[in-house]
Amino acid sequence: MAAIQRARDGVRRAAVRRRLEAVASGKADTASSTFDEPGVDVAGVIEELTLGLKPDSLPLERLVVALTNSGAVDRMVEGLEAKSAHHRAAGARAIGALLIYEAVPSVAPLLAARERQVSDAAARALGRIGGAHSAGALLFALQRRGISRRLVAELARGAPDLFIEVALAQPQKPGARPALALAAGLRRRHTATSQLTALVRGGSRRERVISCRALGWIGATTAIPVITEALNDREWKLRVSAAKALGALRARDSRHEIRYLLADRNPRVRAAARQALRQIEAGASVQGGVR
Amino acid sequence: MIQRHPGPRRPALVATEGLRAEPPVQKRPVEIPRPSFHDMTSRLSAIERAPVFFTFPEDALRAIARRVRRVRIPAGEMVICQGEVGDTIFFIERGRCRLVIEKPPSIVTVAVLAEGDFFGEAACVLGRSQQASVYAQTECYLLAIDRQSLHAVMAGRESDGMDDLRRLAEQRFSLFADISVQATWGQLLQEATVIGVYSPKGGSGGTCISLNLVGALSRRFPGEVLLLDLDFPYSHSALLAGLVPTSCLARTASVPQESFEDVLLSTVLYDSGGPMILPGALRPEEADEVTPELVNKAIAALRKTFRYIVVDLGVTITDSTLALFDLTQHVVLIAAPELSAVKSAADAVDILRQLGTPHDRLTVVLNHRSEKPAVSKSAVERALKRDVDLEIEFDGTRPEQAAVDGAILSITNPKSAIAQGAEALAALLDGKHARPRVAADSASVPGGAEHAVQPS
Repeated sequence: MAAIQRARDGVRRAAVRRRLEAVASGKADTASSTFDEPGVDVAGVIEELTLGLKPDSLPLERLVVALTNSGAVDRMVEGLEAKSAHHRAAGARAIGALLIYEAVPSVAPLLAARERQVSDAAARALGRIGGAHSAGALLFALQRRGISRRLVAELARGAPDLFIEVALAQPQKPGARPALALAAGLRRRHTATSQLTALVRGGSRRERVISCRALGWIGATTAIPVITEALNDREWKLRVSAAKALGALRARDSRHEIRYLLADRNPRVRAAARQALRQIEAGASVQGGVR
Repeated sequence: MIQRHPGPRRPALVATEGLRAEPPVQKRPVEIPRPSFHDMTSRLSAIERAPVFFTFPEDALRAIARRVRRVRIPAGEMVICQGEVGDTIFFIERGRCRLVIEKPPSIVTVAVLAEGDFFGEAACVLGRSQQASVYAQTECYLLAIDRQSLHAVMAGRESDGMDDLRRLAEQRFSLFADISVQATWGQLLQEATVIGVYSPKGGSGGTCISLNLVGALSRRFPGEVLLLDLDFPYSHSALLAGLVPTSCLARTASVPQESFEDVLLSTVLYDSGGPMILPGALRPEEADEVTPELVNKAIAALRKTFRYIVVDLGVTITDSTLALFDLTQHVVLIAAPELSAVKSAADAVDILRQLGTPHDRLTVVLNHRSEKPAVSKSAVERALKRDVDLEIEFDGTRPEQAAVDGAILSITNPKSAIAQGAEALAALLDGKHARPRVAADSASVPGGAEHAVQPS
């Protein structure tokens, strides 16, 4: 029986997908009752269809218009208040996939949901939609919860230009700044270099460790002197982080300082120094080959 | 051709008003904050002045003004990095921003924008990566609107504003691309890199370092490096190198255009070690003859002949010096660890920043003129608000003795502290401004002492 049920669900799912594909390609202009199909993860189908579509692309716009006209989008937004965690998560996923920016105020409260699947779906939706309000909601959640991988990754994805940089420069709760530094590193934008450099110089232990790594990810070669200074810090985590960052930056001029860490009393620092030297040498040989 | 969907666009959710009328969810911690009346007026005045945006309907302008974020950028900070993705348009509410396109080794300022203008539109509306880096030339207050907010405001409105904005973005993109191509002409034509050496306080060793820098560069590129001495009113580079000048740049001012280049090149003095020197003026009163126009003309002629032109800018900032700052690809600032010299250097760094010299095109050299400096390096860095890039150790009486002997230390005594400092500076500059080698160049290999005394 279960196999038959699965087969039926598969057939229904394929039918929904075909209907939505027809709408997206302009062959149909209605998608009535699509969202209420029992046993079908419509949000998943929408996510599949919209994957890789640009925000202002015509197929996405057609889908949004058709689903809005059929009342499906309103039901998605209403579903965000449902008791069932599954329904709330599905609504958030669908809204995120359709990039409905106006629904951000409705999705944002779900970041505080107790159920992990709901808060994760909300974070993903906001990260995918992007924009200042989505980023503001994610930052608010980060300030409340501290470092959370999902929130950091989605903030890095969704934050508009200079949003994280400005937040880094403003007073923050203790847990929020390391999360912001991490997000800045994940975004790999050079505009965050000066804020991260300032954190390496004068931040808390955790902020310094994360900022060093973030500068390495960004490829901020202007920060090499500051990171090199951090190699001599008493905190072993910072020494590890600085060595890894210098390795990522292929900082040839810092080889001498990194070699000192090969005799460090902490084995992790020694391993990081070895790895960094290998990366630097590899970078040098590649450059030599190019020449 | 695909037609845009004619039907109603996102009727229930596109307009924020619609969302407010039928609230589907009760809790809303992420409401759009409403700015105060004065704040709103200030935002609107900045947006209304912006090209294209002034054609937007008033309700759209108000909606944009409500949604923008105000960002304060300190002078010299980067706002946008060339080549990165972007999604935000920045309106300049206050301050000035410089747009630069970097194509190593060239860097060109393609625009300086002020209040009422905006940038970042190509990334935001065309989805292209940032064409230029943007730096705050002064402290700036920017109003930032991201792509999502802009689309939310403009969705469903009957306005050609977005199309006009796209057209403007395309137009600017092409314009900046053209300008940046022109900037690389110098590189394509194998023109010289102009390096200005400026010491804001007399006695900091600017002329000595210029001379030794030219010596170090000419060890790498014999016969391809020129020192232009504009240290007025007394230009002594030729004297320090043991050369006797017979003419100078000032005396070419009255030469007709057709023979200017020949006369100018015949004025250049040749040192047996490789460097060449062009005195600016032989007598103090001749300094007035060196006008910005003459400097421009001379540099244009000399760039075709040399690989590096090092200009000793001396102490005073004149019209000619300012003209030179515009022509230089790199500025070397000499500071001595003395209180007055450090103060002057800090002022000079500030002036250069205001003139638009990019951070990475300015090198600060700390030249120790005594065995025990009165001011420490960290104190100098604090005063300058930037790192010292290079430090030249105290070299005893060697520089004075070399001047008496008419020798250039970087050629005659490579182990001296001055020569080592000049070598490090030459390596730094050559690293930043090295141009691609062509087959004919292969004879002159940069670097080690083994190539030091190749005749030109």
